[in-house]
Amino acid sequence: MGGSISKMMGKIFGSKEMRLLMLGLDAAGKTTILYKLKLDTDVTTIPTVGFNVETVTYKNTKFNVWDVGGQDKIRPLWRHYFSGTQGLIFVIDSNDRDRMDEAKNELQRIIQDREMKDALLLVFANKQDIRGALSPRDVSDAMELDRIAKNHVWKVEPSCATTGEGIFEGLAWLSNNVKLPAK
Amino acid sequence: MEATSARYAARDRFAYPTAPAATPLQRYIQNACSPENYEPNLALCLEIADLINAKKGGAPREAAIAVVGYVNHRNPNVSMLALSLLDICVKNCGYPFHLQISTKDFLNELVRRFPERPPIRTTRVQNRILELIEEWRRTICETSKYKEDLGFVRDMHRLLSYKGYVFPEIRREDAAVLNPSDNLKSADEMEAEERAAQSAKLQELVRRGTPKDLQEANKLMKIMAGYDTRHKTDYRAKAAGEVSGVQQKARLLEEMLQGYQQGDEIKEGDVFEELANALASAHPKIQRMCEEESDDHEAVAKLLEINDSIHRTIERYKLVKKGDLEGASAIPKGTLGVSGAGVKKGPDNELSLIDFGDAGEPEAESSQQPAATASADLMGGQAEQPAGQAAPVRKAEVSAIEDDLLGLNMGDGNFGSGGGISLGGPANGTSVDIMAQFNQPQQQQTATDSIFSTPSSLPHPQQQQQRQQPAQPSAQKAAYDPFGSLSASGSRPTSTSATPIPSAAQQQQAAAAKRPADPFASLSTPRSGSPFQFQQSAPKSPAPPPVQPSGNMDLLGMGSAAPAPAPPQQQQAAAGGDDEWTFSSALPDQPHELTVTNSSIRTLFSISRDNDTEILLNSKISNNTPNPISDLTFQLAVTKGYTLQLQPQSSRQLAPNQQNGITQTVRLQGCERGKGTQVKMRWRASYTTAGQQQNEQGEIAGLGVS
Repeated sequence: MGGSISKMMGKIFGSKEMRLLMLGLDAAGKTTILYKLKLDTDVTTIPTVGFNVETVTYKNTKFNVWDVGGQDKIRPLWRHYFSGTQGLIFVIDSNDRDRMDEAKNELQRIIQDREMKDALLLVFANKQDIRGALSPRDVSDAMELDRIAKNHVWKVEPSCATTGEGIFEGLAWLSNNVKLPAK
Repeated sequence: MEATSARYAARDRFAYPTAPAATPLQRYIQNACSPENYEPNLALCLEIADLINAKKGGAPREAAIAVVGYVNHRNPNVSMLALSLLDICVKNCGYPFHLQISTKDFLNELVRRFPERPPIRTTRVQNRILELIEEWRRTICETSKYKEDLGFVRDMHRLLSYKGYVFPEIRREDAAVLNPSDNLKSADEMEAEERAAQSAKLQELVRRGTPKDLQEANKLMKIMAGYDTRHKTDYRAKAAGEVSGVQQKARLLEEMLQGYQQGDEIKEGDVFEELANALASAHPKIQRMCEEESDDHEAVAKLLEINDSIHRTIERYKLVKKGDLEGASAIPKGTLGVSGAGVKKGPDNELSLIDFGDAGEPEAESSQQPAATASADLMGGQAEQPAGQAAPVRKAEVSAIEDDLLGLNMGDGNFGSGGGISLGGPANGTSVDIMAQFNQPQQQQTATDSIFSTPSSLPHPQQQQQRQQPAQPSAQKAAYDPFGSLSASGSRPTSTSATPIPSAAQQQQAAAAKRPADPFASLSTPRSGSPFQFQQSAPKSPAPPPVQPSGNMDLLGMGSAAPAPAPPQQQQAAAGGDDEWTFSSALPDQPHELTVTNSSIRTLFSISRDNDTEILLNSKISNNTPNPISDLTFQLAVTKGYTLQLQPQSSRQLAPNQQNGITQTVRLQGCERGKGTQVKMRWRASYTTAGQQQNEQGEIAGLGVS
């Protein structure tokens, strides 16, 4: 009962809960983004073996952010995290031109999954602070987002995990676009 | 959340929910539990189970929640239908579904309509629920590999008992399907099973999302991603364990069959039948494992050998069951590791042993031994034999032992070195034991020290088949009589001289005859590729390894590396049409040039007869490429019965386009005059050129000199 009351309050006052899944190739900056969101500090991370999950409240929305390791050995396990995901944050190292194709294939595999069919797609074109990094426009072209994500609502957001640039903008977009499940 | 509220709404409704379900799975479940069914729709239930298995992921949970919703339906018919669907899912969907039925929320939901105190009479729905819980507790909670994940079922059972509910008796056999099957599983299958279980668990842990579960999920991920190898199971070792279990069964059945007497009856559902069924089901599995393990020759050899012994045991069982005791005892007895299981062999068997060796395996020493005896007898019977009777017999014995010794060396520590390889028989280490028992009577006749003879005896899986073709062996028997007299009239009666060397055509014929009948022939490939069969050019290295008949070579596709010179073989083929006669000739000794390889390296053999028993091969290797060649190793192998003496290669390097850069002298001993065209050799060359390791192999049939 308590749950339903707070939900009703949430409806009135516009607070909502959202489950986000953050994926991407290894060393794209997922864990750094997560802790930038959570702690607002630039942490030095080690490759994630397994996953991290944090709750971040931003603009009346409570985000449950799941950050799963991106090494190729872990990628087959991503699918276990799909169920119930409302938003997918796909993080790309904009400076890693060689692996754009790999990233594209992984993203395609994720969003084709049945359980991800209703999820919003936010692509962070990360590491924009590096000179020579691809622009958000180039990233979306390289990823062929028009084609592979044509059934999804998507957005490419330039970001820099170490300074926090673009990250909260991305979250705001997610929060504004999330469809509340019909009650 | 919506699912819960929908369930809350549906639960207390009298009417069956008619609103369309959200997903196909839910729709199927709705149909399966619809009160329009008078009885459970088994086909649909199984389809649901298949769908859950195929979808994995969240499907088991989705199904469990949907089903338990119908279990709590007001209409007891719907509840009963839902419970039978639940039963089918538990029995067919394995661990992922077990994990769901053992969650707290599922179990609480399952018994939601149980009153606090047990009623005087439980309804049939309650009774069925109690029965299911009891069944789960007695089976999966005790026998599942992951029973620690199913603890809540036990807790629920305890709670209900505490409240006074009485569980109906269940028959364990009825629920036995829930126990893990004891079918043989290969390493890959076990790994796949384990992975599926881990996936399901990870999914469930992530879904629950409590800090404890997440911690466990993180640990599980490390294991699944292969970072945490502490808990890694050695699936191959496990598979090996399982195979040895099967072997144990084979042994047991074999022993029981050996003790079987005329008049004993094999009843339905007997231990005999049970064992035979278990073996029969393991049979194809072992073959599959052979394929999976194909990069490990030794494992394949062992598996094949187990396979063969199982095959024999099953055959015997079938014959015994039919009452054909004679047929059953005709199958070579003994299974792996059964000592003393071998039976005394009658003269018939002995003969057929000779015959099969004759037909298919010139290199099989098992054929050589009786042959030696035979030749000794033959010679003994001839009065004009200058050395008298005793000497040739003695000699035959000695050289038989010598050959055996050599065979022992070769067989030492490696499988697949026996001559029987060529026909896909179980010619490898352990199976030799079988035939050792098989051969004992002969060994006592021929060899004074039968220990040495042991490894020489070669088993043959096709003996029955051989016996079914009586025409051929008898023809060959006839063919080898002249041999005996030939060697007898010659001045040097040795055992090798009497070794029947069948014509190539006969071999091919035999091999061809066997090919379709022998399901394992194609599996023998890796064994025949065993590097141990080949002899390095170490001086004085003894033991002539076996050479495969060329008919089989093609089958194995090994001869394709380089064309083997075939003309002598063809001549033989022509002669082979005339079974009764073997033509021989005595031409003057002439050196013969033979091109063995002509790829990157050209190997030229100049072959000449050195003396009456030895053939000299001078090998010259040239470089056909403009690149230097290094690490060149040229290996030769010859049929048992002959001995190779290789002088060391003059070098291992070839400069670009160097001609005759490497020379080597090889002596082939034990080759009587006139037998040169029948010698079969295999060669293997490995070398490095342009940074690449090359391997070639091939066969030489006939040396071109008499």
